[in-house]
Amino acid sequence: MTLLIGALTLGIILSLLALGVYISYRIFDIADISVDGSITFGAAVCSVLLVQMGVHPLWATLAGFLSGAIAGTVSGILQTHFKINPLLSGILVMTGLYSVNLHVMGRSNIPFLGTVTLSTYCEKLGNIVFGGNETLLLGWTVSTTDLMTLILMFLLVSSISLVLWLFFHTDLGTAMRASGDNPQMIRALGGNVEYYKIFGLALSNGLVGLAGALWAQYQNFADVQMGIGMVVWGLASVIIGEALAGTASVGTAIIGTIIGSILFRQLVAIALSFGLNPNDLKLITALFVFAALILPNMLSKLSVGKRKEAL
Amino acid sequence: MSNQQTNASLNPTLVKLTDVFKTFNAGTVNEVRPMQGVNLTITEGSFVIVLGGNGSGKSTLLNAIAGSFPIDNGTIELDGQDVTQWPEHKRAILIGRVFQNPFSGTAPSMSILDNFSLAAKRGKFRGLSWAHSSKLQDELKDRVSELKMGLENRLDTAIGSLSGGQRQALTLLMATWLKPKLLLLDEHTAALDPKSADQVIALTDQIIAKEKLTTLMVTHSMQQAINLGDRIIMMHKGNVLHDVNANEKQRLRVDDLLSRFENVRRRELLDESVADLLRLRYI
Repeated sequence: MTLLIGALTLGIILSLLALGVYISYRIFDIADISVDGSITFGAAVCSVLLVQMGVHPLWATLAGFLSGAIAGTVSGILQTHFKINPLLSGILVMTGLYSVNLHVMGRSNIPFLGTVTLSTYCEKLGNIVFGGNETLLLGWTVSTTDLMTLILMFLLVSSISLVLWLFFHTDLGTAMRASGDNPQMIRALGGNVEYYKIFGLALSNGLVGLAGALWAQYQNFADVQMGIGMVVWGLASVIIGEALAGTASVGTAIIGTIIGSILFRQLVAIALSFGLNPNDLKLITALFVFAALILPNMLSKLSVGKRKEAL
Repeated sequence: MSNQQTNASLNPTLVKLTDVFKTFNAGTVNEVRPMQGVNLTITEGSFVIVLGGNGSGKSTLLNAIAGSFPIDNGTIELDGQDVTQWPEHKRAILIGRVFQNPFSGTAPSMSILDNFSLAAKRGKFRGLSWAHSSKLQDELKDRVSELKMGLENRLDTAIGSLSGGQRQALTLLMATWLKPKLLLLDEHTAALDPKSADQVIALTDQIIAKEKLTTLMVTHSMQQAINLGDRIIMMHKGNVLHDVNANEKQRLRVDDLLSRFENVRRRELLDESVADLLRLRYI
């Protein structure tokens, strides 16, 4: 049960990453690799503020969002202002951020030993709400800290999703969706596609940075390598979400992406508990996304072939 | 004198192109010169038909006015302002557009309502107000039902699932939702089947007449050129070859237009053969 709650919590935290990838990959049709750097950047800034400066965890978490947003802005400016290929600008930002992260952190790993983080507040709140360190849930004994963290993260992600959904139905948000769907059309209607793209990538990477800040506080350390391959992780979540919930509207896509992230984390937890070598995790994630990318094409080819046979 | 003045104030100049040059892929084998010093003045309220063969520069003329690319030389004035340096999205305040390709004018994966909420803000500031206001929804239902295409109850349908004719009709409605100073139609019926093309042309004529829109319409169809508009300009090799004004246009028939094109073609053929002769003799 503890394992399940842990996987659930991490899945929910990383769904913010998945939502960020959804914005860049699905709304703007950009495979934005800067995500790999900005998730660590968010964690790095947050951890330094917490450990070395003693900033309140809420502000440190918010700073994680802002640092991700800055990384996204840079990536957006490279793409629009300097007309650099989106994939390449992502690589540039990600590579540059690796050094920036090392400088921010001062070393490759910062543990949060005895530091006041959001987890500390979850522990306190859990003790108050459930009256003790442990409580019974469906017959299992679970830590109230874990339970409280799960509940709070769920509430946070739900409210952020709601805000995102509302935003994408405003005049500005609708124009941003259109600029990914048909840039020529929105230009003819007076939309500044370049500006929307920068703003969208800032929002996307901001969510990713926020995910990084929360993830670091959840696992109680920040590591300079924690971002490697996270964009593929986000893509996997988006793809699972689309398979489950469809792409009919922004609402279903957002809910699907969150479910996709949670489900993917559960699958990983199950695979690991069945003895999957953690070293193989990234390879398997990559293979999974590969399969998900080519399957729709292969399936349609198969059905076309069958139709031809029938004729 | 006073009569002239009233005439001038009745029909002020809306569009003015002065010595506009544009070359694509300059210095390469793919060099194209669609604008070779184009001078053109369009008065407010006029409906101008642009004719010309392939590569004559007629679509480029529209794109240059809309600001799809920067021009090499010359100036473009719109509504009394020099807009030569304005980016495309800024010029959208003054211009409504319908493209040749039905896929170009709408966002395919978004709903009809989404698309119109974008059109309702053409050239305006887009902030955080709710895009699907109930006022827009009511108005949209009325206007779309006037199209008699049965779309008024499908406003949540993705626009990409509609036929080309339906999409062009909607694009036309979107382009004129906020009355544009200038409407640019770039062969907007060329990709449609004859029946849909007729429907869209009828709608075009109706909207332009009702809103008294200044319009620049590119077409391949001689019949459309004869039936619509009050002025025809014929483009050839990046320049305005003929300019047929309203009085002349009333007497114009399809055969006259065709013979004008035939003249151009003959001259071209002659030039080619003479060039070939010279080449044979001297090279």
